[in-house]
Amino acid sequence: MPDLTQSRIFHLNDERPAIVADVIARTLAGVGATDLAIELAINDTAFMEIARLEGDERHADRLQEWKELYRTLGRRGREEKDHILKDLVSGYARDIVGNFDPRVYRFATGVVPRGLTLLFKGQNSTVGLADRITLQGHTEELKALVNRGTVILTPTHSSNLDSIVVGWALDALGLPPFTYGAGKNLFSNFLLSFFMANLGAYKVDRRLKDKLYKDTLKHYSTVILEKGYHSLFFPGGTRSRSGGIERKLKLGLMGTGLTAYINNLRAGRPNPNVYVVPMTINYPLVLEGSTQIDDYLKIAGKSRYIIEDDESSKLGRIVHYTKEVLGFDGRMFLQFGQPMDLFGNRVDAQGVSYDMRGRPIDLRKYVEVNGEPVHDAHRDAEFTRELGSAIGEAFSRNNVVLSTHMAAFVAFELLKARHPGLDIYHLVRLPGDTFLELAEVYEGMERMRDRLVIEVAAGRILLSPTVQSESIEHILRTAQRYFTMYHEKPIAALEGERVRLNDVKLLFYYHNRLTGYGLESLFTPRQEERVVA
Amino acid sequence: MTPSVGILGGGSWGTALANLVGCNGHDVLHWMRDAETVAQCNTYHTNSKYLAGLSLSPRVEATTTLSRIGRECRLIIVVVPSQSLRGVVGELGNDLDGGHLMVHAVKGFETGTFKRMSTIIREETPCKKIGVLSGPNLAREVAEGQPSATVVASKYREVIEASRKVLVGPTFRVYGNSDVIGTETGGALKNILAIASGLAMGLGFGDNTKSLLLTRGLVEISRLGMHLGAQERTFSGLSGIGDLMATCFSPLSRNFQVGQRLARGETMEQIVGAMNQVAEGIKTTRAVHEYGQANQLYMPITEGVFKILYEGIPPRDVLSELMESSRYQYEVDPEIGVD
Repeated sequence: MPDLTQSRIFHLNDERPAIVADVIARTLAGVGATDLAIELAINDTAFMEIARLEGDERHADRLQEWKELYRTLGRRGREEKDHILKDLVSGYARDIVGNFDPRVYRFATGVVPRGLTLLFKGQNSTVGLADRITLQGHTEELKALVNRGTVILTPTHSSNLDSIVVGWALDALGLPPFTYGAGKNLFSNFLLSFFMANLGAYKVDRRLKDKLYKDTLKHYSTVILEKGYHSLFFPGGTRSRSGGIERKLKLGLMGTGLTAYINNLRAGRPNPNVYVVPMTINYPLVLEGSTQIDDYLKIAGKSRYIIEDDESSKLGRIVHYTKEVLGFDGRMFLQFGQPMDLFGNRVDAQGVSYDMRGRPIDLRKYVEVNGEPVHDAHRDAEFTRELGSAIGEAFSRNNVVLSTHMAAFVAFELLKARHPGLDIYHLVRLPGDTFLELAEVYEGMERMRDRLVIEVAAGRILLSPTVQSESIEHILRTAQRYFTMYHEKPIAALEGERVRLNDVKLLFYYHNRLTGYGLESLFTPRQEERVVA
Repeated sequence: MTPSVGILGGGSWGTALANLVGCNGHDVLHWMRDAETVAQCNTYHTNSKYLAGLSLSPRVEATTTLSRIGRECRLIIVVVPSQSLRGVVGELGNDLDGGHLMVHAVKGFETGTFKRMSTIIREETPCKKIGVLSGPNLAREVAEGQPSATVVASKYREVIEASRKVLVGPTFRVYGNSDVIGTETGGALKNILAIASGLAMGLGFGDNTKSLLLTRGLVEISRLGMHLGAQERTFSGLSGIGDLMATCFSPLSRNFQVGQRLARGETMEQIVGAMNQVAEGIKTTRAVHEYGQANQLYMPITEGVFKILYEGIPPRDVLSELMESSRYQYEVDPEIGVD
């Protein structure tokens, strides 16, 4: 076992004052030194805060202060403005910065998994979490790369359990914990907050929209990446509401990787490289699936970006979920994708980047001008966009098809084909009981698997062992068991020669995991050959 | 020392571009396969095969050694036929790194894969800073110093700026934009329209027909371009309608000549055999036709040209089909309103 206490994260508390000071200094430098720049920065924050707090009774005092500042800002002297700005930025930096408690770490990696195991293992005392969570893919490269530079792990995001599951996985791989930005709202979740607040997570307050806050956050991320703190970014920005693999990624924080890399080069630091490892987290059932698909189906614009009252805030639901889903032979899959550099090129375990023809690449050259590494906001934004696409494609390739996804996809597409012209809002409100013939479901799943096998051969997707090699009957039985275990009502149930669809919304949710591969064409009536005139 | 500008391809457009950069006072390293032409360029500063009668800038050094380009140049402009691009750039890639700026002036798609040229450069080199040069640029007119302009599109400003620096001169302007897909599609697809235009002229039709062809052709180009992710407005610029007009109105255009000669009753074998340069439109027609079919895009003009080129159907028959078919009679095009 490697000595994890040598890892950077174990030094977070010692380094914290220096990190905070660095973040403050960089953010202030970024604002600029002119009177106008400082006034504009404060003005923007005041404006955004007033907009946010307006009408919120609980913060009436705070709102008054902002209004007062907003009104009188122009009359205040330079010294006072400097002071206000510094206070603001310091407050932000201190709010963001994380904490790491080695005692909590030992508890989290020792006691908690045993507790979780007790929940589900039942009769079989030899079963542990490792039997329920499969870690696969490029884990060896990941293990090697953490010693060669800074690693950014970018998982798909569908549940608040994700950070816990990834935390467990890193420990199981013998890796130190990674730091990550967690929504500040999650810190009010008693269960999650205990671990997050002590395991190096930093706070991201999504309610704050001012540029000053966003800049402080980016500087924090940049500083810790430069210092070699391996980080976890959820590039989707928030949990996937639709249930699908993220295809549009938020690149704000992702760009800090490149900034850190260039800063490392300029400062001549050893191990300047930053590596990106995309991964997918594949649950047969998702803890918050129900809340999320409800939210998704709300008319666009009314959906909530921050959900505070979902299943992950209720201990009972988490226990229930763990017991049920992991209870029998439930299994989730963590698929680690091919590591890449910040430009989307493949990286091997030695940290060497390769072009698509397999020739090694000297990364420095991408960011050099006349032999010197330089920042260039426009160029770097484009590099980051390209990286975002590369991660999105990696998500798609590393998606692991589980029985629930496959069954839901087939059932939903059959339902859709039966009601041509109806959109999802109508499909979830079909009157009366909804049935599919068991025979057509089997037939659809046969066709689907034939096609999936082709997709796998082309490297476009992955299959779980069950979907890969069990009989169609077995796959459907497995899916059916999941569908009846955790959610409020069984999503679908076998009744004789028919399948009753009880919850079309959740069916749609699990179906969405497999959209974007063109599999729908298997279930749409063949279009007439185009008449060639 | 400022590195030379690399130009790949010794055809008429490659030679005209090399000459342009040389005349603007920059050193040029010009790669081509043909050793005889290299000798002629270096000794007499002429390229009698492709730009006969013109004297070229002495700042252009021709070479057959591809590896020199990667080692000695930072900005590289690729002007080779679309179907040889992958091979040439793949070999060039051995000597490239992420600092190289790659611009291509190749109008076509890869047959079989329907990949754009910038995608191929991405696949065959470590370069990310890639751009496309495209516009109404008949090589001979540019080489003669007639006022003209082109578009360089890239997501990376560095590429546009470096290109402008060496290309802009007293008779040549460069417009920059970021729509690589739109600029590439406009350039590639207009060659199909050029063949169609040559056919129409060869059949003896006048300006009404030509205008009909161009206007509806532009709709067809935009339709495919936007399907691929282009921005619509790119097609109303120099690399869209601009290039279309130049190619379709000019007897200098190789693709136009193909159409004209087909209309006169020559066979494809005769025409292709008699040309010393590639008419990109022939292969593009097949690639676009197949892609359009597979993706159910409505592309009647491309379909018509395809039938003439590849199925041997007489041009007049195809034309009357296009004009008479009930499919088109009451066509409503949601993209530009009722017509």
